Amino acid sequence: MGTILTYIAIQDGKVKRSSLEVLSRCHALAKACGHRLEAVVIHPEAASYVEEVRNYGPDHIYTISSPIFRRHLNTPLIGALASVIKYAEPQLLAFASTESVKDVLGALGVRVGAAVLPDVASFDLVDGGADALRPVMAAKMMARTQASGTCVLVSVRSGSYEAIPAPGEATVEEFPYDFDAGTLRQTLRDVVSATGGAVDLSEARIVVAAGRGVKDDKAKGLVEELASLLGAAIGASRAVVETGQFPATSQIGQTGKVVSPDLYIGVGISGAIQHVAGMSNSRIIVAINKDPDAPIFNLATYGLVGDLYKILPPLIAELKQTV
Amino acid sequence: MKFCVCIKQVPDVTAPMHTGRMVLNAYDASAVEEALVLTEAHGGEIDLILVGPESASETIRKALAMGATRALHLRTSADTHFDSAAVSELLAKHLTGHEYDVIATGKQAQDTDAGLTGAMLAERLGLPYATNAVGLAREPGSLVVTRQGDVGEEVIALPFPCLVTCSNDMNDPRIPKLKGIMQAKRKPVDTIDIDPAISGTATTRVLGFEPMPGRDPGMLLDGEPEEMAHALRQKLVEEARVL
Repeated sequence: MGTILTYIAIQDGKVKRSSLEVLSRCHALAKACGHRLEAVVIHPEAASYVEEVRNYGPDHIYTISSPIFRRHLNTPLIGALASVIKYAEPQLLAFASTESVKDVLGALGVRVGAAVLPDVASFDLVDGGADALRPVMAAKMMARTQASGTCVLVSVRSGSYEAIPAPGEATVEEFPYDFDAGTLRQTLRDVVSATGGAVDLSEARIVVAAGRGVKDDKAKGLVEELASLLGAAIGASRAVVETGQFPATSQIGQTGKVVSPDLYIGVGISGAIQHVAGMSNSRIIVAINKDPDAPIFNLATYGLVGDLYKILPPLIAELKQTV
Repeated sequence: MKFCVCIKQVPDVTAPMHTGRMVLNAYDASAVEEALVLTEAHGGEIDLILVGPESASETIRKALAMGATRALHLRTSADTHFDSAAVSELLAKHLTGHEYDVIATGKQAQDTDAGLTGAMLAERLGLPYATNAVGLAREPGSLVVTRQGDVGEEVIALPFPCLVTCSNDMNDPRIPKLKGIMQAKRKPVDTIDIDPAISGTATTRVLGFEPMPGRDPGMLLDGEPEEMAHALRQKLVEEARVL
């Protein structure tokens, strides 16, 4: 019997749903292969998240509670994960693909001698390692990629799997990991948080995204009103992040967040490849753009060719009757 | 400041169909640009390293034309298979004992979108590092990196020597002027041929490619804005059942 290990990320005081998606996939794999499923939570208050993690069926949960993990730092995170890997000897360690994980994944792979499959859309255990499908070339196609080795690290794009509760009786163990902060060579000077508890874009069920067509405060106001009405997270194309209209944390794309909502509404979004790479997995895509040749209309479930200043107000009025 | 920027030639992914046009990886272009901004302000030189086939030498000349000083071309043959593990090991071998203040790379390559090589290289060289940088600044003894994290921007000071991977959100890379292009022709480029056996250090391989999952064809809604709005609401509530 081998072991599959899932990393559980905590953000803004909550377990990230994308981690639970990955845990569910690992639960299915563990069941199919007859492996033990373990999870690891690394946070000063790790113990407070154990109950929720237990609901998704691991056999065992490690907690690492050193105060060094209050903020993201790559060095201690790599050290902690390497220690758990050495102890647990998993065939597979799976992560949700977040910026913090992207910051450590490659270094961790080298540290523990594990092959790495980053940012995958699906993955499986196979003889001698693991298999995955992952988007390449700005998500124009999928590459079937195989990793070989006794330990494989996999990071998974959010929305690739469903988080399916599987309540169980997990044992819990506080894993000792002491990090001497004096050995830290880098200094974290500041964290300028832009999320402030707003709906996490990469986990949102509904996303309203603003593109180049959203040129001024009036348009931005309409976008915000639509989003607020729908309880949607607000995303943005690179163009409007560059102008400073929207924060960088709202950028969707090849460089930026990957979203997979049930409903994506693109306002003034043209559908450039790099943006589409971050939202093509949305279930329903609505596009509002005055350019009938905008590539987004090739992708949209429902396309509205027209001026957003003329379309959004009646749309908002219509939706007020619904929600 | 002594910089080494690791660069890669990739297909032009901005075109919807593959045209065969090869370009300097956009994220690496940002790394080169930022290195130029910092060396223009603080003095210094920029060395380049590229792992790739002979045809990638035009990308080296492009980065030299932007203003880099010299380059090392680790020339691979067509039958060499690479992944991030193999590339980072090869780069580490050639950077061991280096005297650079900063080794910079793009945060990912636009063909693989793997985003592993930079951090793997930092680990192999034992360097403190930061990834996904959107801003760099120099202070005495430190590189101050502003990176895009999960909750917002993180500002991290790294001692020299260090490694940083760069986002293309950091800057708009300069387009080489004619003078730079002419000068680039005379800048030194050393070439080392890489033994294809290096493929043995790769731990992953691509078995094949598949199309992205298809989407059901969509529809355009007609009429005046009010009619479109009404039709959309009806579709979202009754047909798509997403509201």
